[in-house]
Amino acid sequence: MSTDEPRNPLPGDSILPEPSAGPGVLRLLLGTQLRRLRETAGITPEQAGYEIRASRSKISRMEHGRVGFKQRDVADLLTLYGVSDDLSRSGILSLALQANAQGWWSKYGDILPGWFEAYLGLEAAATLIRSFDLQFVHGLFQTQGYARAVTVLGHRSAPADEIDRRVSLRMKRQDLLQASNGPLVWSVMDEAALRRPVGGHQVMLKQLKHLVDVAALPRVTVQIVPFRRGGHAGAGGSFTVLRFGQPDLPDVAYIEQLTSALYLERRADVDQYLEVMNRLSAEALTPIGTIRFLKEVIRDT
Amino acid sequence: MTSEGPSAGPGTRGAASGETAPAFDTSVAHVARVYDYWLGGKDNFAADRAAGDQAIAAYPDIVFSVRANRAFLARAVRYLAAEAGIRQFLDIGTGIPTANNTHEVAQDVAPPSRIVYVDNDPVVLAHARALLTSMPEGSTSCIDADLRDADTILRQAAAALDFAKPIAVLLMVILQHLDDDDDPYAVVASLMAAVPSGSYLAMTHPASDIAAEEMREMAQRLNKLMAEKVTFRGRAEVTRFFDGLELVEPGMVRVQEWRPNTEAEATSPAALWCGVARKP
Repeated sequence: MSTDEPRNPLPGDSILPEPSAGPGVLRLLLGTQLRRLRETAGITPEQAGYEIRASRSKISRMEHGRVGFKQRDVADLLTLYGVSDDLSRSGILSLALQANAQGWWSKYGDILPGWFEAYLGLEAAATLIRSFDLQFVHGLFQTQGYARAVTVLGHRSAPADEIDRRVSLRMKRQDLLQASNGPLVWSVMDEAALRRPVGGHQVMLKQLKHLVDVAALPRVTVQIVPFRRGGHAGAGGSFTVLRFGQPDLPDVAYIEQLTSALYLERRADVDQYLEVMNRLSAEALTPIGTIRFLKEVIRDT
Repeated sequence: MTSEGPSAGPGTRGAASGETAPAFDTSVAHVARVYDYWLGGKDNFAADRAAGDQAIAAYPDIVFSVRANRAFLARAVRYLAAEAGIRQFLDIGTGIPTANNTHEVAQDVAPPSRIVYVDNDPVVLAHARALLTSMPEGSTSCIDADLRDADTILRQAAAALDFAKPIAVLLMVILQHLDDDDDPYAVVASLMAAVPSGSYLAMTHPASDIAAEEMREMAQRLNKLMAEKVTFRGRAEVTRFFDGLELVEPGMVRVQEWRPNTEAEATSPAALWCGVARKP
């Protein structure tokens, strides 16, 4: 058993990324996908290995996301598995490319836990990010002041320069909101995230105004679930569902915990999160109602 | 910009308005999600996939039929925008957003196009409001209403569309959810009565007289598994929806035969009647 095996199995069919393994979850997703395609085509790991001049165990390592992918190997496997349409092929091949690439965040390696680094890989590859936030304004929408206040809360004893770098990492993530081929970001937030004055009154006021601006971006949707709606489907806590453009890649549900994170890709698990997300989106104020509501909250703040 | 009808919003439907959260149930198959499943989308749940598979077992070509329907939607909207000069669209039965949505095709031809999407499902509406965003020159908006209630649709659509100018009414695979007691002909007539001369009706309808046995079996299975029942109709019954309107070439035809762009579109299996007609 290799040292990066999880010690404590987690509930559900969770994917545990290997620590500091770059975009590990992307490799796992790709590996899972290749396994499904191979099994559907009725091809054994030996046959697949033969096709790319490799062993059965190399196929197994690829399918478990433990090794990188050579473009040529992936292309040959797709042909062997009968995947001929261009959309499916190019989707898988481009993910293979991204799974091998070093993310822009690699220079933050010293402050990035492996479980979060994997999330950044997924976030960068997603075409749709749906998030529910219960307590804090979504990370992609935070102002520098708000991000700093949240970071200090989580890292009370960290030196000033580490705090700076953590904040700058968060700001850098927000580039994808402006990127021409970036994902759609559809965020539902509990009113609590607006009312909790993180960083004090001035920081919060600036954050709320920023939220109005962000919500107007073409690829961003913000919906608030107001207190007056009473209880709601998201009482269990914050989570994110990531969707990828490749038709056969499953959605991934991401649930952050204090010292780790859960990545769920099994359909039965993800469906439950998707259902709650759908309920929340239908229960929340509409995007336009949300802008009106935000302006009211700004007046009260 | 994106705008909303005057009372559009969750929890505004009929007696369920106010503080009650909208009702929905993923344990029963839902037409929009079954359709999404057939199209290869990811917004469906176990019950939808089970119902979808039952239908596929009865009529395997349904997966091509739904794609042929989307392809027709794109061709019809492009025709309406580019050749008929239509700039306002009333798309009833939006469904879960996928590729080539009405506003994307229309605004690709004419960015100022205004599109009103109508659906009666709160989750579909949430998706539409979040994902069907307009180019800045035009507008998209969403109405929460049932096709049986044409008055509500017309009243709310008036907030976004100018009923003094031509409007294309789109009814893509939705009329099969109205049975004969719902008087679908009266519904279509009242929609078309509200739009001016030079307006259009574009429609697809599942056929009872193409692949007839398979389609009958599929309808029976869907009616057991889905809350929304289906009534498939034959050529003559579908043609009646165009009474008083002028069908453009090639008339009321199988969906593959309506101005296909490619050989693949022309030869795709599909058990759907379609037509595009102008109000004189």
